[in-house]
Amino acid sequence: MAPAMSSPPVDALEWKGEGVTIAEVLDALADFRGKFAQAQSTDEDHPHPRNSVMTLIAVAATEAEEKLAQRICTAIAVHHPSLAIVVREEANVKSGRIDASITASPAHYELVTLQVRGPAATHLAGLVDPLLVSGVPTYIWWLGTPPFGSKELRDALDIADALVVDSGGFARPYHSFMGLADTSSHAHRRLGLADLQWARLDPWRESIAQFFAPVARRPYLSGISEIGIDYAGAGRGNRIPSATLIGWISSALGWKLQRAVGGAGGVVSAQFEADRWRIVDVAFRSVAKPGLVEGEVGTVRIVGTAGGTTFRLSIARAPERTRRQGPDLGPAPFQHQHATGGEDDAGMEIAQRKAAQHREMAFQNRDSLHHTATGDPPGESLPPRPTVFVRERRRADNSMVLLTLIDIGGADTLRHVQRIESDDDASLLVELLALGAHDPVFARSLAAGAELMRAL
Amino acid sequence: MSTTATVAPNPLAEGLHDYRVAEPALMVIFGATGDLSGRKLLPALYNLAKQRLLPAGFAVVGAAIDDLTDDAFRKRASAKISEFSRTQPVDEAVLQSFLDAVFYVKVDFSKLDDFKSLGRKLDDLDHARHVGGNRVFYCATPPPTYETITEQLKAAGLNAGEGYHRIVIEKPFGNDLKSARELNRMVQRVFHEDSVFRIDHYLGKETVQNIMAFRFANSIFEPIWNCHLIDSVQITAAEEIGVENRGAYYDKAGTLRDIVQNHALQLLALTAMEPPVAFEANAVRDEKVKVLRAIRTITEEEAAKATVRGQYASGWVLGEHVHGYREEPNVAPGSLTETFVALRLFVDNWRWAGVPFYIRAGKRMPKRTTEIRVLFNRPPHLTFGRQAAQELDPNAITLRIQPEEGISLKFGAKVPAAGIRLRSVAMDFLYASSFLVEVPEAYERLLLDCMIGDPTLFTRADEVETAWTLIDPIEAAWREGRPPLQMYPAGTWGPTAAAKLLETEGREWHRP
Repeated sequence: MAPAMSSPPVDALEWKGEGVTIAEVLDALADFRGKFAQAQSTDEDHPHPRNSVMTLIAVAATEAEEKLAQRICTAIAVHHPSLAIVVREEANVKSGRIDASITASPAHYELVTLQVRGPAATHLAGLVDPLLVSGVPTYIWWLGTPPFGSKELRDALDIADALVVDSGGFARPYHSFMGLADTSSHAHRRLGLADLQWARLDPWRESIAQFFAPVARRPYLSGISEIGIDYAGAGRGNRIPSATLIGWISSALGWKLQRAVGGAGGVVSAQFEADRWRIVDVAFRSVAKPGLVEGEVGTVRIVGTAGGTTFRLSIARAPERTRRQGPDLGPAPFQHQHATGGEDDAGMEIAQRKAAQHREMAFQNRDSLHHTATGDPPGESLPPRPTVFVRERRRADNSMVLLTLIDIGGADTLRHVQRIESDDDASLLVELLALGAHDPVFARSLAAGAELMRAL
Repeated sequence: MSTTATVAPNPLAEGLHDYRVAEPALMVIFGATGDLSGRKLLPALYNLAKQRLLPAGFAVVGAAIDDLTDDAFRKRASAKISEFSRTQPVDEAVLQSFLDAVFYVKVDFSKLDDFKSLGRKLDDLDHARHVGGNRVFYCATPPPTYETITEQLKAAGLNAGEGYHRIVIEKPFGNDLKSARELNRMVQRVFHEDSVFRIDHYLGKETVQNIMAFRFANSIFEPIWNCHLIDSVQITAAEEIGVENRGAYYDKAGTLRDIVQNHALQLLALTAMEPPVAFEANAVRDEKVKVLRAIRTITEEEAAKATVRGQYASGWVLGEHVHGYREEPNVAPGSLTETFVALRLFVDNWRWAGVPFYIRAGKRMPKRTTEIRVLFNRPPHLTFGRQAAQELDPNAITLRIQPEEGISLKFGAKVPAAGIRLRSVAMDFLYASSFLVEVPEAYERLLLDCMIGDPTLFTRADEVETAWTLIDPIEAAWREGRPPLQMYPAGTWGPTAAAKLLETEGREWHRP
């Protein structure tokens, strides 16, 4: 039978069912798809084909995660036709039951929410496999901490093209980091593995790579002597981003880990062998940084010498400023950019010190380790501040910027500001999925970072 | 003169924008207070900064005849960026940081001393910003100034020294073969060809680049991409706007020079070229030149049959009444300049023997659209009978360059009903929704390419000259009135002769 010549437009459709089977969910989906197709057909045209970019499966363990997943999946789907399946797992509930809901829009967006209680919750692959659209890539976004090493995760990864996690939210960072690295090295060949926390490192990686981009500065790569990182947190906190960032540099430059030690306050100090003879000192520590995700990098400093020229690259996230709209100082007022005092503006400091001092501290006096991104030795927490001048202009939102300071030889410090566009989960997720979540650089950096942490 | 040296890639750039990490450089924009600079270049550079693609040390030096201070130019730049940036609202932190690296030097192109002053400013900035001597000179000026600017750059010693020295020039690259050759010779006297970036912003469009990806990254299309299965190819480049404020320029150029010589022939070349060995500048451009050389020249005698030229009269566009071309500002009242062109070309090589390539370009068309439509032959035998297939069109692949960027494949399918009835259906790929990322502006891509030193998407001297060898005989015939200029009402798809060009061969234009 030919369809009606012109059916009325259909708005978004919704369906809910309690204690349902996956077959009933499928029937409801098929019903919606039929209604949309019929509504779009006219006597002159044929129904517009389904256009689905992906199936995104979000696995949530809590109600908050479920709501977050729904919100982000919806935000993505507004622009990108897709099927999103949010699975809320409650395996601990004895009585098994599946409650489901579907929201579908004519713009080829379908959100299926499954609340799965009881043993079925541990069989994710079996739950979602029947719902997948053939030929469309399937991504699993696991909120919280995935059960690394479990059969449930292995089975789920078999039906997926990529797994996306956020190591910034891992419950037991060290063990989960090892689990993530292990998953990366044992996953099937076509599986992409992505970490939102790794995506948050992109601006840092870009700034560092840009510094070494000029051909004339390429020899500096062989002259790096020290790297320091401050990350957000208290105590050990989450050291995954710092370890991965170091893993990225060391694996790209072919450095070999010689030894590593951990100290109080999350301090990690390590030595790498570069170019088969040179020692590079690496250290990171936690620093209280309100507003940043646990473990997020706050400051990176790279120091070295090449061809008789010293260089220093300092990059800091959202440097705190004490700019005030004070009294009118006349045209083009200048003032100090950074406040004095405090221990959190470490990345801004242009501290002078020696690599040997660090090696001694790190490996002969572990208990008093105080290696920071600034390289402040113990007791020297307030070194002289550099005088960096900025012209006061319109007040801008500086909460999401990276400030880069470059010192080469004796020349004046070059200052550069870059925006961290957005690091909310939705933006990062879109960024990762756009590239299919296949990133050999991440895999390589993850492996090197895990090696460093294992050596502690 | 400087050339691009081959060096090992920066190992830390792996995975970051495909190694596309630029070195710090000073970009001098000649004509910095003009339209192109304000509408396109400065907003594109701001957006590159926003995407963190401009490295520390990068700076813009505006150069123009106006007497401005750095701050006054920054104010202008700020206003233009705020108005024309593709990303809105403008990010104040990024804008402030970008403007900190914007400077201005007054340059009268006829005065060597001004270029020497510019040189001193560049040296100072070079030292303060650790730029390493890298310089890009962007001529955002009318083509007649190119010669003066390049000669003055040479006289002031600004075309050589430490780092790279590149020059960017905008189309039109000459107005016939002779002037194009002169321009190339003159620019090449000052800059090595590797350092000359002839910008045709069409090539920076993602969809144009995707023509190559579509053809050469898939195994299913290339085997059918030849005269055995393809009936014809239609290339349409239509605009709904008139000549706007470009009347003086357009009345001398016309659509053949303004659109066909560059954009349309580039699209044809990308559609018809053989697979390059690699997506590498000279490999790609070598193949494009081969295709352009294989296009059969339309002789002055053939022009009357194979070309159509038209000019818009008053009419209705998008619901508004508009003037005819001759009533536009700065257009001669009796102008014979064409605002519409239709051509039939043949590519005389093994792959395309006998396949007509129809090009249609014009202003004041019903809508803005650029597309390439590849029409396939009908099946050799009607298995389902003539009755069942009466609603069935030939298979077609449409590459939509703009707007609604994407690709559509038209094929036959059985209508779900008793018996056999067939009709055409389409599979659509939409750029906007299929990828989860924003499509950058063509100028952003091209400016970054220039800084990185990748000329793949820029036009080489021999491409420009080969294209002119195809255009010159047509222009010569048109000057003698073969074929005569035909008028068409604004808001239509051109004169009736354009439809007849295909109808006589049993074909018709696709309505985009």
